[in-house]
Amino acid sequence: MTLKGGTSHACAACKYQRRRCSAECPLAPYFPAEQPKLFQNAHKLFGVRNMLKILEHLEPSQKNEAMWSIICQANIRDKSPVYGCWGITRQLQYQVLLAEEELQAVNAQLEMYRQQHQQHQQQISSMPIDMTSQLELGMAPPSNALSLFNHTPQPYNVVPALPVTQQQQSYSNSSKAGYNSSAFMDTKDNAANPFWVQHSFANNNNNSMATFQSQLAASQPLAIQQVVQDYDEMHPFFDTIDDRQSYIDSKEAYESSSEESLKDTNQSIEHVAENELKSAAACFSLTSVN
Amino acid sequence: MASSSYSNSPCAACKFLRRKCMPDCIFAPYFPPEEPQKFANVHKIFGASNVSKLLNEVLPHQREDAVNSLAYEAEARIKDPVYGCVGAISVLQRHVLRLQKELEATNADLMRYACNENMPAPTSQFGRRMGHGAGSYGQSSGLYYSSPWNNNQPSCEDSQERGGEGNNMQG
Repeated sequence: MTLKGGTSHACAACKYQRRRCSAECPLAPYFPAEQPKLFQNAHKLFGVRNMLKILEHLEPSQKNEAMWSIICQANIRDKSPVYGCWGITRQLQYQVLLAEEELQAVNAQLEMYRQQHQQHQQQISSMPIDMTSQLELGMAPPSNALSLFNHTPQPYNVVPALPVTQQQQSYSNSSKAGYNSSAFMDTKDNAANPFWVQHSFANNNNNSMATFQSQLAASQPLAIQQVVQDYDEMHPFFDTIDDRQSYIDSKEAYESSSEESLKDTNQSIEHVAENELKSAAACFSLTSVN
Repeated sequence: MASSSYSNSPCAACKFLRRKCMPDCIFAPYFPPEEPQKFANVHKIFGASNVSKLLNEVLPHQREDAVNSLAYEAEARIKDPVYGCVGAISVLQRHVLRLQKELEATNADLMRYACNENMPAPTSQFGRRMGHGAGSYGQSSGLYYSSPWNNNQPSCEDSQERGGEGNNMQG
């Protein structure tokens, strides 16, 4: 239905109601004729009278914002007739809790690394004294060990993370399991819930918000677990480095100073140490004489 | 949920509407007479007719959740007539994004300690993995829903700047 003598078309609201759309139609700015679905959703949830009631108590500057939120709310309700905005709110609250827990765990891990780093720095500064005592006892490593000394603490620093990371994994898993078993979305329509959240992402927003949420849900705990697993993968790497022999011999110096902690570390390194001891001794006998 | 279908007391909806509460009243199971404000809010924002139609469109076992979500949205709209529950969604989204950025930065710090300068190649693996994750987090923007208008109109993507703070009690 068009205005008399005018070229503008009726808005979607007036078209739906089959009435004349005047120039002062309060809903015309918000419901263009080419998007009838917007008004249908808003009309279904609120109704024209209720929308106008909401608008009449607002300042003119707030009406645009209010109508935008009404339309958004109605669209969400159209896509999720059961849960609507309440479902999205609960989902976001769940994501916030997950992210906060994860952040807390990562901060704890970071703090542990910082402390280890500080201890490592202190050990480096104090180690030459121990090395001198080892020399006096006739157990000094080959000369090239000192230049590679800085490499040796690394697996020592990494490995103690294993029990912590195991806790980390169980922490993340238990927290996720706990939330999954909670009834925050006490739904009888579980199959539809993930669908409508993803559906709204795919249809309404083609950017990576869907990727964002799926990444958030799936990859955040995995990121830490992947790092932890990579620590395990790094240990064979240490075994293959060229300065393995010197590394193992300098490790003996560590054992004299912190024997208990080293015994709890990588078994493969100790195994290699036992096998290499004879060759190291042979090397020493050839080079240690001054 | 309380059912007043077989009791003498009408449900909150029929009390409010001043009508006889029939045994098959669709509101009765979800609006007990002990919670009159619940129906009052829902009726004020959505209207009894719309709520009745919505309930008839969902399965019976979903109606309680539907009513609870409508009650939540109605209460949010009464508290904040401008943004309603959409404001809370906007605030939560920004909170999630902020936490993601903080997590990203903390993970980067963790990588620096875990793979310090003396480590060769594995660092690149971590960088690629975390970069991928960071990239996807960094790309996240906007809200879950698209703009209701096309051009020269406020869009839902702009809501991050304006949503949530407008708790004006105008009515």
